[in-house]
Amino acid sequence: MNSKTKDLVQTLLIALFVFGFAFWCWFKPNSEYSNTERRTLDKLPELTLSSVSEGAFMDSFEGYATDQFPLRDTFRTIKAFSAYYFYNFLDNNDVYIYGDVIGKTEYPMKEEQLISASNKFNYIYNTYMKDKNTNVYLSIIPDKNAFIAKESGHLSMDYKEAVDVVKNNTRFASYIDIYDLLSIDDYYNTDTHWRQEKIIDVSERLAESMGTTLISDYKENVLDHDFYGVYFGQAALPIKPDTLKYLTNDIIDDCTVYTFDSKGELVESGVYNMEKAFGNDPYEIFLHGSQSIIKINNTNATTEKELVIFRDSFGSSLTPLLISGYRSITVIDIRYVSSLQLGIFMNQGMIDTFDNKDVLFIYSTLVLNNSGQLK
Amino acid sequence: MLFSTIPFLYYFLPCVLIVYFLSPRFLKNAVLLLSSLVFYGWGEPKYVILMVLSILVGYITGLLIEKNRGNKIAKIAMIAGVCISLAFLGYYKYMNFFIDNFNKITGMSIASLKIVLPIGISFYTFQIVSYMIDVYRNTTSAQRNIINLAAYITMFPQLIAGPIVRYTDIELQLRTRVHTLEKFSLGIRRFIIGLGKKILIADLLGKICTEYREVSEISVLFAWMYGIAFALQLYFDFSGYSDMAIGLGHILGFDFLENFDHPYASGSITEFWRRWHMSLGSWFRDYVYIPLGGNRVSKLRWYLNIFIVWFLTGFWHGADWSFIAWGLMFAVLLVLEKLFLGKFLKKHKIIAHIYVPFFTMISFILFNASNTPAALAGESAFAIAWRDIISLFGAGGIPLVSAEALYYLRSYAMVYLMAIIGATPALKCAVKFIKNKKYGEMVINAIEPIVMLALLVVITAFIVDSTFSPFLYFRF
Repeated sequence: MNSKTKDLVQTLLIALFVFGFAFWCWFKPNSEYSNTERRTLDKLPELTLSSVSEGAFMDSFEGYATDQFPLRDTFRTIKAFSAYYFYNFLDNNDVYIYGDVIGKTEYPMKEEQLISASNKFNYIYNTYMKDKNTNVYLSIIPDKNAFIAKESGHLSMDYKEAVDVVKNNTRFASYIDIYDLLSIDDYYNTDTHWRQEKIIDVSERLAESMGTTLISDYKENVLDHDFYGVYFGQAALPIKPDTLKYLTNDIIDDCTVYTFDSKGELVESGVYNMEKAFGNDPYEIFLHGSQSIIKINNTNATTEKELVIFRDSFGSSLTPLLISGYRSITVIDIRYVSSLQLGIFMNQGMIDTFDNKDVLFIYSTLVLNNSGQLK
Repeated sequence: MLFSTIPFLYYFLPCVLIVYFLSPRFLKNAVLLLSSLVFYGWGEPKYVILMVLSILVGYITGLLIEKNRGNKIAKIAMIAGVCISLAFLGYYKYMNFFIDNFNKITGMSIASLKIVLPIGISFYTFQIVSYMIDVYRNTTSAQRNIINLAAYITMFPQLIAGPIVRYTDIELQLRTRVHTLEKFSLGIRRFIIGLGKKILIADLLGKICTEYREVSEISVLFAWMYGIAFALQLYFDFSGYSDMAIGLGHILGFDFLENFDHPYASGSITEFWRRWHMSLGSWFRDYVYIPLGGNRVSKLRWYLNIFIVWFLTGFWHGADWSFIAWGLMFAVLLVLEKLFLGKFLKKHKIIAHIYVPFFTMISFILFNASNTPAALAGESAFAIAWRDIISLFGAGGIPLVSAEALYYLRSYAMVYLMAIIGATPALKCAVKFIKNKKYGEMVINAIEPIVMLALLVVITAFIVDSTFSPFLYFRF
């Protein structure tokens, strides 16, 4: 190829690409939501004289243009491929691949965050349980990094130290160690969470430590479509999807679950919300996903024991496995309800009292190490 | 507006190119001016007026000098024009520095002014000043068409981070530039290479620098990784910007002078500064060093001239004593080279090629200190730089290596490798070597368009996936 032809080909190729994508950007209808990134995409900022003179329009426009860029997911995949296979980066935006497993670096251990979480638990204990006949327990769920980070050559916090920090600052609670029961196989490959069908032993250890017995006879149900977890979108690489299974038995099926709807009204339903199976995050089938307070009544209970669980999303799949050991379980997520406001819910009857109950604080290291989200 | 953003690449630039190439020749400079004002106003809407005022000062001064050539009024006009332009720069860039130091000396507590540094003011002020002086020196005539002058000063490819284009270099092109397919294609290649330097190397090295400030445990290894990464980041960031500016210039029919020539391959600091930010170096040479007498004075005065120039060069880079110290550090090295070191380095090439990267790395550690989170929180830049520099030698009982340092070294080994090779003329020589072979040029010509397209796709992918990362030289 001579220089003139090269100049022509180069100019045409680049012009075609730039102008092609430019016109596509200008005339493409906006997308509202990114399924892979699980977030709302930026919208065109309002164009006013003041937004332009103050620079707000321009600041927001960059986010909008980048979010709405055509083939955004494809470009993210190209970037991920370049990062992993050309640059040989050990992670891409902290996300890494180890075999079929997608992990996300959780490093370093943030002691102040762990102490802050412990202080929240202390507040709840001191405010609502201190002078009551309450059996308080604490358990910490290690995130996936605990099992794969070191062997895959990634940075990993000292999990024993992290547990010790929380334990030493929550001496009111009896610690239930579940670390030895878990391995990487107990977690979804493409998601942060553990697999419900793999944590029956965890539920039994917790129940035994809290002095109750479970009926661990379950039917394994399989979601009839692939499960792409939260890390799948973040990795932006073609990774095999997971299969989502959920466990049922007569006790779980007969339970009544009370949640609040968007208007604040109490709604009665079941343990699993199968409508969520086709939503953005199928893991939300477990106890309806993000909920501030849930009350589960076991209508077949042979015990008078009641349990209150302070938990994060890992608790959603665990709680159904504990229900056979209790007459009722109240599940509280202080990421969505302030611990200062628990008294209001006590007045409404969702939480009657902590007296004569078991209380389990069970949190993953992901939340404890980033505890600013706890209210 | 940044070159390395979707709004620039896929909104602004295509619009400008369509309008520019559809416009008749006599309107092209007006289109360029309007585009440049939009480009500047996008990031600094309030400071467009300041820039227009500066241009008016330059324009009127030029006409006054021309009209009164040969008499005192011309000199007065030139001095007044330069003083007004520098006063704008002084107020917006240096006023708080002066207030802080005045407070320290007198013990008073005059409140700092709430001033935001207008982007690119250091660059366009120097262009206006050089224009007024050149008109006064009669090396060029005053531009009577304000659109042409304003188009030169505001030209968006080089407006906010250089290179500092001289009016004398561009005067003819403002009137009679040629647009050819060859030039357009050359511009595309240069722009994409520059963008690649910024996105695919500099920004990634920047992540190492950020991590260095955030790690729980600093080690000797990480300190070296930081020093090397920042020196390379600065080079690829700034030379990448210059490449983009030169490339855009070609696309629009202009030929800007080169601004970088593989400075880290230099055998002395003297040579380094002939290859690094060449447009700034030549500006100080022509408008400060030579008027002071240059080297055609006594030795002592010569050295003083060098110190004055480097004091000002440091001060131009930032309103902080650390920048002045950075400039003076180079003055010391340059004087030492003139005294004896230069001869030694010529004889000992290997030592020379260790000496240059080492001292430039040390200088850039000092250079960057005032921009660290600790400095922004109030810690002295000198203290930060000192800590970073002594960490290179393990002072303070820091470990030799840490898990984090090893992790980032393994993860970023390819980036370091690309940056180190890219900072030398190796790639350029390799292409030249292949071109000289039989069919070599044909092969290169066949590959180049594909490589450029692939680069643009990957760059776009990195931009789409990344968060905002401003160019380092924008703060000057």
